[in-house]
Amino acid sequence: MIAIVFFSMLIIRVGYLQLVEGDRLRDEAMDVRMRDVPLEAKRGTIYDRNGHELVTSVSVDSAYAFPPQIEDKQGAAEKIAQALQMDKEVVYEKLTEKVGFVWLKRRIDFDTAQRLKSLDISGVELVEESRRFYHQDSLAAHILGFAGDDNQGLTGVEAVFDQELRGIPGRIVIEKDAVGQNIPEALHKLIPSEPGQNLVLTIDQTVQFFVERELDVIMDVHKPKLAVIIVMNPKTGEILAMGNRPTYNPATWRDSPQSVWDHNPSIWYNYEPGSTFKIITAASALEEGAVKLTDTFHDPGYIKVADRTIRCWQDGGHGSQTFEEVAQNSCNPGFIEVGLRLGKEKFYKYIDAFGFGQRTGIILPGEEVGLQIAESDATELNIATMSIGQSIAVTPLQLLTAASAVANDGVLLKPTLVKAITDVEGRVVKEFPPEPVRQVISKNTAQTLLGLLTKVVSKGTGRNAFVDGYGAAGKTGTAQVVEGGGYSPDKYVGSFVGYAPAHDPQIAILVMVAEPTGSMYYGSQVAAPVFKSIALDTLRYMRVPEIAGLEKPQMPYVFEVPREKLNMPNVVNYPVEEAENHLVNAGFIVQTRGEGEIVCKQIPQGGVEVLSGATVILELQPHDIGAVEEITVPDLTGLSIKEAGSILEKLGLYLNPTGTGFAAGQQEEPGTRVRRGTIINVEFQPPAIKTIRD
Amino acid sequence: MSSKRKSPDFVLFITVMCLLVIGVVMVLSASEYKTLIYYNDSFYYFKRQLLWSVLGLIGMFYMINFDYKRLRQYITPILAAAFILLVLVLIPGVGVEVNDATRWIGIGPIQFAPAELVKLCIIIFTAYGLSRSRERIKSFTAGVLPYMIVMGLAALLILLQPDLGTALSLAGIVIVMVFAAGARPSHLITVVAAGLAAVVPLIALEPYRLKRLMAFLDPWADPQETGFHIIQGLYAIGSGGLFGLGLGQSKQKFLYLPENHTDFIFAIIGEELGFIGATLVIMLFLLFIWRGLKIAIASPDPFASLLATGITAWVGVQAFINIGVVTGSLPITGITLPFISFGGTSLLFTLVAVGILLNISRFTTTR
Repeated sequence: MIAIVFFSMLIIRVGYLQLVEGDRLRDEAMDVRMRDVPLEAKRGTIYDRNGHELVTSVSVDSAYAFPPQIEDKQGAAEKIAQALQMDKEVVYEKLTEKVGFVWLKRRIDFDTAQRLKSLDISGVELVEESRRFYHQDSLAAHILGFAGDDNQGLTGVEAVFDQELRGIPGRIVIEKDAVGQNIPEALHKLIPSEPGQNLVLTIDQTVQFFVERELDVIMDVHKPKLAVIIVMNPKTGEILAMGNRPTYNPATWRDSPQSVWDHNPSIWYNYEPGSTFKIITAASALEEGAVKLTDTFHDPGYIKVADRTIRCWQDGGHGSQTFEEVAQNSCNPGFIEVGLRLGKEKFYKYIDAFGFGQRTGIILPGEEVGLQIAESDATELNIATMSIGQSIAVTPLQLLTAASAVANDGVLLKPTLVKAITDVEGRVVKEFPPEPVRQVISKNTAQTLLGLLTKVVSKGTGRNAFVDGYGAAGKTGTAQVVEGGGYSPDKYVGSFVGYAPAHDPQIAILVMVAEPTGSMYYGSQVAAPVFKSIALDTLRYMRVPEIAGLEKPQMPYVFEVPREKLNMPNVVNYPVEEAENHLVNAGFIVQTRGEGEIVCKQIPQGGVEVLSGATVILELQPHDIGAVEEITVPDLTGLSIKEAGSILEKLGLYLNPTGTGFAAGQQEEPGTRVRRGTIINVEFQPPAIKTIRD
Repeated sequence: MSSKRKSPDFVLFITVMCLLVIGVVMVLSASEYKTLIYYNDSFYYFKRQLLWSVLGLIGMFYMINFDYKRLRQYITPILAAAFILLVLVLIPGVGVEVNDATRWIGIGPIQFAPAELVKLCIIIFTAYGLSRSRERIKSFTAGVLPYMIVMGLAALLILLQPDLGTALSLAGIVIVMVFAAGARPSHLITVVAAGLAAVVPLIALEPYRLKRLMAFLDPWADPQETGFHIIQGLYAIGSGGLFGLGLGQSKQKFLYLPENHTDFIFAIIGEELGFIGATLVIMLFLLFIWRGLKIAIASPDPFASLLATGITAWVGVQAFINIGVVTGSLPITGITLPFISFGGTSLLFTLVAVGILLNISRFTTTR
């Protein structure tokens, strides 16, 4: 009886295991017995707009091991290390890992694979994987991006369209015995991989090549920190080329610093656009009727805004001029006046409508939005400087996208980078048509502005961008780099934004060179000629007919740093070192005559107008402070409190400053004789805002 | 009463033959892959199992015709043999160490596992001793204790191998026999309690035992170590379903399930023959117990009765523990499934014992 009870319990237990739990246990057991060999899907191809392959996948072998199957791990490690050119210790470590599967080396070349194969080590196998092949090396690197070891897109369109490009990985599942050997009547399952879809970019390989070529030249000549060139079709928003420096080769991305491959300056770099932003100021003001082309302006060389003086880049100013001429001269007081006439609310409305402060929506990761002073915080002075492209930061793509609206009858478009997604057979799966965002300015205003910008190139500061046979419209810009809360004294961004051909723009191009280290940094020097070169090559490549009888600019825009007319500072009675420093800093060459510590005479005299670079002769006299009771008061104009104080101290005089900034006037006139120990009263004032020429 | 010999119990004979055939076939099926890998001969274990089955059958037929009463004359040598073997197996050089345990005696090419012979010897001794006086059994010191001491000594020697499973089954068999002889239940409870008290320090001394013992409660807690056997066994049984994967179709035999031709052969039976096959095997053991006890009850004398009980208990206890372990119902102990598990000399002596049982059946009186 007891036996029956006991054995019945066993039967029930067996029944429970087999009939109730059976399916679960069977599946689990199956999972334990099944060994997976991954079968990667072939990643899709990335084409340029004309079907040229930019990135394709090529088959390569990857080596892996089943560590439990390898008996002589030391010996195997040695042989494998040799075949794969790896460190023996590293291989040994992999082979002794307590896992069923380990990658030895991914994506090895054919010869290496053959070497490994010939070793015939049980438990070491090869599987076919794919490697990305970049047909043009680093061409369009920031657009393309790259995929990681496991076929996952990491940056660029590789990341954005990872799902589409990736395909569906397959698997070979084989039933194996406990140590990984094949077993008789084993279950095999082949789950084939599905290749990824292809991407057709809006990029034109040839135009991109022009861009890369010019970027290389820029890097060579100007050695800037960053350089960006973007070429866009203004009628569709399609990006034909987008190039950046520094760049990297996606095939060997690991060799480049992350800061290079992780940031696409075209969409990431925030900079003050300077005068290129005057396109936006002009567009807004013309649209709002705040200014007409024929309005006349008078530029005395500065403009007073609130309590500050903003000086034109042109000393003495541009005098009387129409708005058309203001634009051609890139006259800062003129544009400031226009911006102030427009007023804060309307100006901000257009800044917003042109898409500043927002992402353009381009399909790329890591887009920045620029920087703006909040409308509620903006002062009149802010509006004034924003009118000339300061106190506002934009990304290169933002600016080009906004400027392209002018060439598209006033309609802002979303910039596109991808034309279509196609399947393995090349059939279009998805298309990306142009996406209008909004009408920012009227067609009329757009036409007027285009004409204005055409004249900037044919007659004004943009002459270096003139495209032979096509003409061009556009605007140069030079801005200082904002650094630590102020403007850096020697870091500039030179740029050019423009369109060609002038009357029916087919392409819009932005060239930006940030922090060039050579002698040139003006947009007209570093960017405008690049625009000209790319536009000419591209238009010819696109077979755009040339315009006969197009009037060429009379002469190129002054290329070298021009000599400026300067007021000769008065350094009589200055100690000689102070005098020399002062004059050299102001741009003069100094010669001295005679012996002594004090300047007694200077040629030319202080106060006369001379060209920068002129030579100043200083006559010295021996100075015996103890003997001299009467001292001639020096001209302290333009000196800081510290500088003035130091000079007076050396002469045996005292400084009594009022105000802050730089010396603007002194009670004791220069040249008067005073007794030793006299207090000199000097008035200091904040500096005028200097603006940069274009 | 002169013993007029009848023919032996046919049902029992057929039952054992069925189990034996199932065993030989399943040993082949379970081991063919493993032996192919290790010995390059799929039939390595099969051939040996077949040989030992034949030897065992010869021994069985010999014992069928060997009057069990004559065993009484050999009690002293039988008991001595048991202890000599148990001591021999512990002597380094004589005992062969397998898996950290010495359960074998190497005699030339043959390896001899004395466990089953020792069980048989102890059973014969206990049956003889208990049968000499029906009265003493009521006394703890005179009736119960001596056999417990003998059994305890044997069990202790077995534990030194170490072989907890065999020691426990031996204890179980003797307790069943003493109970059948009419010992007071209170005495038996005392013995069991004492036995447990003895086992506790053993487990405490080597904690791995407890871990292994208790792994059956949650084998997935440590699937790579203590739970490994059970999980792989459960995978096998579970995979079988109602009808099984078919003879020879086991997947777990591909080196996943260790001991698949010995202690865990029932798992392969469950996998290949399904619930139906597994139940059939359990029913065959039940049939064996039924016929064995029937013989014991109808035995002509107390010695025969106790001997039959002991042999039946041996097979019954061992089958129960084995299947219990394999199905994850009992703590894991290494113990073979009688008639089915691979194991040369064990099979031989189990069949010899069946021969004795069948011999006793020839003297039964029908009431």
